[in-house]
Amino acid sequence: MDESIRSLIFQAIDQTISAEDFERLQNAIEQSDEVRADYLNAVSLCESLSDIAAVEDNSADAPKSASVHTSSEFMLASHQTNRRLTASRWARTVVAPTAIMIVGAAAFWFGLKDGIRRQEQFAGREEITGTNSESVIAGHATLRRSVDIRWSEKSNSYREGDVLPAGMLQFDQGVAEIDFFCGATLIVEGPATLNVESDWSVQVASGRLRASVPPAARGFMVMAAGSTIIDLGTEFALDVGAENAHVEVIDGEVELRGGEYDGNHLTTGQRRWLKGSGNDDSLAGLSTTGDLQRRRGMAQAQRFINWQVHSQQLRADDRLIAYYPIAESSTGRIVPNVAASGSERDGQTVGLANRVDGRFGEMSSGFEFDRPGSRVRVRIDGEFRAFTFACWTKIDSLEHRYNALFMGDGYENGEPHWQIRDDGCLMFSVMVDDSKEIIHRTPFDEQPVKDAGLHRVYLTEPFWDISKSGQWFHIAAVYDPVGREVVQFVNGEELSRQEIIDRFHVESLRIGPAEIGNWGQPFRKTPWFAVRNLNGTIDELAIFNAALTSDEIRNLYEQGRPLGY
Amino acid sequence: MTSNRQTEDATSADREVQYSQFVALIARHDQSIRRFVRSLLPSQEGVDDVVQETALECWKKFSDFAPATPENAVDEFVRWACVIARFKALSWQRDRARDRLIFREGVIEALAAAAMDSLDRQESERRAVENCLQTMPDDQRQLVLSVHSPGESIAKIAAETGQKARRLYSRINVLRNLLLDCVQQRLAGEATNG
Repeated sequence: MDESIRSLIFQAIDQTISAEDFERLQNAIEQSDEVRADYLNAVSLCESLSDIAAVEDNSADAPKSASVHTSSEFMLASHQTNRRLTASRWARTVVAPTAIMIVGAAAFWFGLKDGIRRQEQFAGREEITGTNSESVIAGHATLRRSVDIRWSEKSNSYREGDVLPAGMLQFDQGVAEIDFFCGATLIVEGPATLNVESDWSVQVASGRLRASVPPAARGFMVMAAGSTIIDLGTEFALDVGAENAHVEVIDGEVELRGGEYDGNHLTTGQRRWLKGSGNDDSLAGLSTTGDLQRRRGMAQAQRFINWQVHSQQLRADDRLIAYYPIAESSTGRIVPNVAASGSERDGQTVGLANRVDGRFGEMSSGFEFDRPGSRVRVRIDGEFRAFTFACWTKIDSLEHRYNALFMGDGYENGEPHWQIRDDGCLMFSVMVDDSKEIIHRTPFDEQPVKDAGLHRVYLTEPFWDISKSGQWFHIAAVYDPVGREVVQFVNGEELSRQEIIDRFHVESLRIGPAEIGNWGQPFRKTPWFAVRNLNGTIDELAIFNAALTSDEIRNLYEQGRPLGY
Repeated sequence: MTSNRQTEDATSADREVQYSQFVALIARHDQSIRRFVRSLLPSQEGVDDVVQETALECWKKFSDFAPATPENAVDEFVRWACVIARFKALSWQRDRARDRLIFREGVIEALAAAAMDSLDRQESERRAVENCLQTMPDDQRQLVLSVHSPGESIAKIAAETGQKARRLYSRINVLRNLLLDCVQQRLAGEATNG
């Protein structure tokens, strides 16, 4: 074994390797079986040494390693012993009965319990009540990517990530990449008219397309000009016009059914005119996935730049209480407040609030709050006369009853709570009098609700369901004590406008210690906390000491739209 | 109604049985899966996350897990789980592509394929490491273990003991190379001796 490679291996394990050497090591691992084996042996050795060292070190009183988890019991269980877990411990922890919506701070080994328990609750709820039916979405494909697409007036329009139901898709220009649930992918160039029939079949009335069919999707059918093209694997191109229709196998094999060539098999390079005839080159230059990605990348970058320009102007707005353009920063746990109020109001990530791609793809970033402990903490002191909250968020699922966007810690007088209920309704509220315990029926639920304090939750109609998972939304809430109304927006459109009646009127607003993406109650007296982390990503948040107008909200949305909106 | 209730009871009883099976399997293989995941990530960072996600995914898909025979379940489970772990490791690194020192996909795939082959060797490997450590002089043994203690690093120990980090690195690497060779010889010996 080359000693220099071995030294690189240990440098990699010790995390002291340079970027160039890491590249060299990766090449060597890919090219040489021997290096690969050596690398694995070395990792294994060092892990065994760590385990042995940890066992011998076990008498040490306090854990030495920094950990994101705060529970000492947790660390003792997972790190200070040699990380072994017995079946009985698993069984005990997994089946331990716990209250819904509450998680013990003494979470067991890396929190797995939470996930499993949650699933149990879902399964359990369905089994017990039989009324909460499993959620279903109708559709056969998803719009994976698109560039410059303009949907025809008569047609429904879709965004990237949308589930496509059976029916017509029609666009006048642009390119769409459509993934059928069977695994086949179509790259369609507009103008095009398609009829999605099932997970396995589509009719093409017009348009140019490239169909890629992996082994799992063999048998995928494309109907055009009275013929059915059955893909027996890999790739073919199709051009359907008013007068003619042309198919060519790029790679692999297709079978034709119906029409003039019924029963014909075409293989790589073979082509047929299904209708009419014309220039054999009609299929040249058809977009590939690579082309689409490049064009998309360029268009996305343009949107990103537009937003940055606007964001620079926005930060001079003296109505801003705080502004966190998370999308533009890329590293670190500090979430800078770029409004004039300055670094006093910077946020700080806690727990596993991971940086992930923001709404402009990999050039931008956002924070993901998918663990119960993930949060961005801020402290915003002062008194305010109105609130406008505006953020861009991508929701993966609404897995808790309430899912936090921005929450004042203690929910004390004048403090805001901005969240999304599990049925997709937006909720905005401000505490009016936290000394009262109130029992009331909400007009939406018809359920008596016991509230710790006098407040009113301003709810919208649902705007989200699981079919919107992974899409970005611009969400805004305006709380206007002077104008006596609460207005909420999604993607620049007004979703609800509600009056603030006398009983719920608060003039003086505060924020204080608060969290983005979660609800913190660091002053609570028990280790239990309500789980309200947002299973999703936030990549921009602006808070104004003013009631922005509908036009202003619309403009925030327009200037910040990512590609495909 | 009664029959419905019975069906529900049966379902939840089935689920309980599945549960205890799953718990037993994952507890038994926790270490193997963790080690496998560690082989695919450039450092300890993220190992807990990926193992967690793997365990969750395994539970979600547990009803799809179909061992050829009950006796094979134990062996097949860890392979099945490692296939899931490989995907989770890939996506974990994909999400962190902006950071330094992330393996590219080809490397992860190559490592995963190789690590899959040596899944069943972990127990004997660990024994071999222990035996090899026993043959070392005490001070060397302590030195090599000290840098692998939780929270320690060579740089930190060098600073604490006033040694030049460079020198300490090379001493540690000599010891680790010796151990590596010793372990491989022992494993090879075990293999030929049956």
